[in-house]
Amino acid sequence: MKNLYKTVGTIIFIFLIGLIFLFIGGYYKWLVGYIFLWIIQGYTAWFLYIKCNQPFVGYSVTMGIGAYGTIILSVVYNWPIIIAIILSVFLSMIVAILFFLSTSRAKGFYVTMVSFLMAILFPKIIDATREISGGRSGLYFKGFDISENVFFILILLITILILVFYSWFMKTKIGQILTLISENDNLTKAIGINTFRYKILAYGIAGFISAIGGALYVNYIGFVSSIDLNVFTTVYIAFMPIVGGSKVFYGPLLGVLFIKLTPDIVRPLERYMDIFLGISFLSIMLFLPNGLGPTFEKLFKKAKYTIVRK
Amino acid sequence: MVDGIITGFIIGGVLSLPVMGIAVVYGITGVTNFSLGIIGVFGAFITWILLDYNWVFAVFMGILFCFVIGYILQNILLNRVSEKGGDKNLYFIITVSLGLVFTGLIKVIFPRTNIGLSLPSMGLFTIGGITASGLKFFAFFFAVSVLILLRILEENTLLGKKWVATSQNLKLAKYIGINTKRSFCIASGIGYALAGIGAILWASIYNINLMSGWDLTFMGYIIAVVGGIGNIWGGLLAALLMGMVMSFSGYFLGGSWQSVILYAIVIIVLIVSPRGILGYEKSI
Repeated sequence: MKNLYKTVGTIIFIFLIGLIFLFIGGYYKWLVGYIFLWIIQGYTAWFLYIKCNQPFVGYSVTMGIGAYGTIILSVVYNWPIIIAIILSVFLSMIVAILFFLSTSRAKGFYVTMVSFLMAILFPKIIDATREISGGRSGLYFKGFDISENVFFILILLITILILVFYSWFMKTKIGQILTLISENDNLTKAIGINTFRYKILAYGIAGFISAIGGALYVNYIGFVSSIDLNVFTTVYIAFMPIVGGSKVFYGPLLGVLFIKLTPDIVRPLERYMDIFLGISFLSIMLFLPNGLGPTFEKLFKKAKYTIVRK
Repeated sequence: MVDGIITGFIIGGVLSLPVMGIAVVYGITGVTNFSLGIIGVFGAFITWILLDYNWVFAVFMGILFCFVIGYILQNILLNRVSEKGGDKNLYFIITVSLGLVFTGLIKVIFPRTNIGLSLPSMGLFTIGGITASGLKFFAFFFAVSVLILLRILEENTLLGKKWVATSQNLKLAKYIGINTKRSFCIASGIGYALAGIGAILWASIYNINLMSGWDLTFMGYIIAVVGGIGNIWGGLLAALLMGMVMSFSGYFLGGSWQSVILYAIVIIVLIVSPRGILGYEKSI
């Protein structure tokens, strides 16, 4: 029951934040919309990497296929945006499934390595095909022909929908089997479950949703270049649920806020940003192995207990 | 054609140094360390700063720095993580974070983030009708010598035997009185020092910048994985092969396709043979 409160609370919190900043407007509204786009990626990593225990870290690739597919098909080949989005989202899903099929013989860390190498390869392909993709200089995009506020609401609703989907999906029979697979793959096979089929489904869902995030990203930012989708993008996406806390539903949200807002908050110290982020990640891993969420929860409970006792 | 082969051998030779660093560190400590290249590049920056005094002293200090940092990090950080039962994903996060810290330190400490080292060129040499700068030949032969030296160290010294024992059975090694933590620290120090030598040679042949450390790490891992992670002979073979691939793909398809071809080959190799060309080996 407590978990349900936390899940619903997280979703309501995101919804309210979206509404508040919609009325405030300006730069902060833009920033909140930008954070929503990363929330989609953070929760996708939470779903596949943490909940399904699949050692895939190529999130910048699936996101990039969504982003570049949309922009190239609509800008270079003049396809309608919506068709471009649908095609690139399905392409990303196919790539994620193909990735799984081709690495299914390999063990955990090798899968991580191959997906990590894919994340390194992706921006290099973009650079090599700069005549079409724009390479490092990037491609500009006008995006949907709708007002800024309507698009903000659309992003908010899609983000909420994705969170509701992930939370619902993990409670379904399929979600529970995926949890079982993540706990013990061999045992799940031993009780007669075809784990292969379920893993394909997990990869397909993650590829699909990550690409939706990517497609929304280019529509929202209006620009994409190989620098935006470099290897650190994938590293940060994979870190999001771990930093925030993988055991609580609001963990990836905290991770996204920490990783994406910190550079904005400490902008005067930009020169020291890498050092700050590196030390923060190290400290969290060493001293708060459960991530920020459960630690805050523990501190909150302690404070509440102290107040009640007094 | 001949030029391509020479360039391939030299790239492969220089790249084989961080690969050996990875092989030593992974083979003995079991840590997949993603900070090797960036700390190696940090060592090259130290060499660059001290180059005005004396080049031998500057190179020595750069390598020494890498060794000391490797020893300290293993001692105060990675050994503790290992004791707490750290898995490969945790090492991945921790070492990438360490890499971030050192990338930031290079930005803050050094006046420039793009450097080239002017080491003595050692004149021009001709071997079998092939002429190239002595430094380039030195880089290649140095890498091969280091590999042979490591093998000798492993097979003929007490430290080497301790390494083999530690990598093969950690519990038993502890039981018979081997100070496994110290073995790990020395291995880590040597791994970082090798990455440092690789970065110094790379900076003296090409230029290095803030991202070179990551490139060296990723290239090092790619080659190590293709050769069979932890397998030093496989690593050297893969480094030379990859050097050739880089040289010829750059020559025929242009610089921007060089890394695309390289990474694509690695991904295919990993998919076809997940344990690398010569298979994985849990010792150097």
